[in-house]
Amino acid sequence: MQTVLNLLEAEPIRLFLSFGVILFLVLNLAGILTFAERKVAAYIQLRYGPNRVGPRGFLQPAADVVKLFTKENVSPQRSDLWIFLGAPIAMFLPAAAVWLVVPFAPRSVVADLNVGIVFFIALTSIGALGLIMAGYGSRSTFSLLGAMRGAAQMISYEVPLILSLLGVIMLAGSLSFQDVVNAQAGGFWNWYFLPQLPMFITFYIAGVAEARRVPFDLPEGESEIVGGFMVEYSGMTWGLIQASEFASMALVSAITATLFLGGWQPPFPFLDLGNFNWLWFAIKTALIIFTFQWIRWSLPRLRMDQLMDFGWKVLVPVCLIWLFVTAGAMLAFPSVF
Amino acid sequence: MLGEERKTEETTLSQPVSGRLANPDIRDEFGLETIDMNMGPQHPAMHGLLRLILELDGETVVRCDPVMGYLHRSKEKISENRMYPAVIPITDRIDYMNNMAMEYGYCLAVEKLLDVEIPPRADAIRALMNEFSRIMSHIPSLGFLLLELGAFTPILYAFRERERIQSIMEEVTGARMMFHYIRLGGVKADLPEGMPEKMWEYIEGLENRLQPDFIDLIEGNEIFIARTRGVGKMSPEKAVEMGLTGVPLRCTGVEFDVRKHYPYGWYKNLDFDVVTDDAGDVEASYRCRIGEVRQSIRMIKQILENLPGGEVMGDTGRRIRPAEGDGIARVESARGEYAVHVVSDGSDTPYRVHYRTPCTVNMQLLQEIVPGHYLPDIMPIMGLIDPVSGAWDK
Repeated sequence: MQTVLNLLEAEPIRLFLSFGVILFLVLNLAGILTFAERKVAAYIQLRYGPNRVGPRGFLQPAADVVKLFTKENVSPQRSDLWIFLGAPIAMFLPAAAVWLVVPFAPRSVVADLNVGIVFFIALTSIGALGLIMAGYGSRSTFSLLGAMRGAAQMISYEVPLILSLLGVIMLAGSLSFQDVVNAQAGGFWNWYFLPQLPMFITFYIAGVAEARRVPFDLPEGESEIVGGFMVEYSGMTWGLIQASEFASMALVSAITATLFLGGWQPPFPFLDLGNFNWLWFAIKTALIIFTFQWIRWSLPRLRMDQLMDFGWKVLVPVCLIWLFVTAGAMLAFPSVF
Repeated sequence: MLGEERKTEETTLSQPVSGRLANPDIRDEFGLETIDMNMGPQHPAMHGLLRLILELDGETVVRCDPVMGYLHRSKEKISENRMYPAVIPITDRIDYMNNMAMEYGYCLAVEKLLDVEIPPRADAIRALMNEFSRIMSHIPSLGFLLLELGAFTPILYAFRERERIQSIMEEVTGARMMFHYIRLGGVKADLPEGMPEKMWEYIEGLENRLQPDFIDLIEGNEIFIARTRGVGKMSPEKAVEMGLTGVPLRCTGVEFDVRKHYPYGWYKNLDFDVVTDDAGDVEASYRCRIGEVRQSIRMIKQILENLPGGEVMGDTGRRIRPAEGDGIARVESARGEYAVHVVSDGSDTPYRVHYRTPCTVNMQLLQEIVPGHYLPDIMPIMGLIDPVSGAWDK
């Protein structure tokens, strides 16, 4: 038994296994989140939502996946097939891979990289590539418009996203997620959302934009460009894009929880659950996902120029100002930090 | 090709034409081109089957040509081959969101040629049902506007109200959408037992729900204001010049309502205001629609308070053969002025029927207003016009 465990702990095997577990988790998460999304939407809209497949509709995601797998993959006749089919993969893999550095509990993290935050930033930027591939490969005006919007949006909102992380990095003095979480130990008054409130809000908004959710779902723009970059996709390629959307939403929520809400740290020291602290992490992530869904079903969509204005004229200045405030405070009162 | 004439002429655009192509030097140096885009007829935001041929400079629309006719069902020709009473169900299907006004216009036009006296109770019930039909059309159109802006929830709230009115309509007329209720000489049947009380109860409830469900949820929303204020802005002169009627005209500040200025039927006895707004943009049209729903509620209350008694059907004789001549009637439908012209040659089928639907005329707005706006602004402008596919194609 011990030898088997030791074998599993050996480096390449552990990494492969962990990645398998993460992939399993993310794919299931996408299914669970579609169900959650539809239920939340239904309750906001005074209806029941899916309640026919399985007990209380819990098997609906499974039925959806079966449907998607049995559907034919239709590609436009003049599309660039390699780019067209590669796009969903290029979108899904980065969204799944970032989960490798997310700390779930004190000892549960696949790779506690000392540059974890940089890894996160780098991989989320790659998501924009898949989006452009999808829009370009489909050879449709609607897709192209969606892809151009998506590229502009994701690159613009990367700036406030990164800037809002800098405060946390400065306070924690580390680029590793696990260090940031450890620095927030000892109750919710030590979590970074309090000293970094403007940064927290900015990160949250930029995160909504990165996950391409309402009110920033311009690349999809259901009512004007009918799905935007994914208008030509069908069957499982569409399913994979959808899965990556949900995975990146969950990811942004998880990162928000990790950096600003103490990750797996319990809100009060006496509620420490040891290795089961992943429960706190899950609760926090789920709450943030719920707020995403709440916003999604309540607000209309912004327009491209308004989106850019908001990003560059509001979020970036707020970040820069608070960055200076944080730096100044750290210089003035070195004993506190 | 690039629509230069449109850009240079004096227009009432809210935003100047932007983008690199607006500068001819840059355009020629880099050989930039506009994109042609075909929107519809199968498109979720096109209110049925409308096709827009767009020329885009990035996100800015340079040219917008609406193409109509994808839901043409030759209503006018079919009307020529049917006996007078049998045309009424045809008119029902013209504007399928506001059917009652369609029936009303046709019946009024034919009654001008018939020697028939409409009993006062029938007149009152006609006006009553018309106002219900207007609410039934206005409230979902608010939902559609929000749906096209990207908010999904309000449409379900709107359709809840529509469903409730439909249930009332079902009890009165026997149908939920295609009523066939207003007949030549009166209405099909009297209100059922206890119906006025039921209507009163519903109207009171709607008045209370209007504020939380439609105004508080929508009007104060920053994104809603950002997306609608100044979008689709036009001057009253332009609106009159284009021959607009209904909310698109009234939201520019022109006070024109057929019910008020050319009263027909029971509307002579009713006290109501013409709702206008002077902004002339999408937000103003939203406020106008809410105001009109309030006025309709007011009218329904007045009618229910003084509902005259008596018969609901005048004596038209067994076979309806109107005198030779022209009968023209205009009514205010939820979308604007709806007029019917019936030519009779003395036989029992009309010689010619023409339906002047407001949607066909209001649709001109797209070509005039949309160039210079961004692509996503087309959707709120469609919400301002609020056309119905069946009504513009007939």
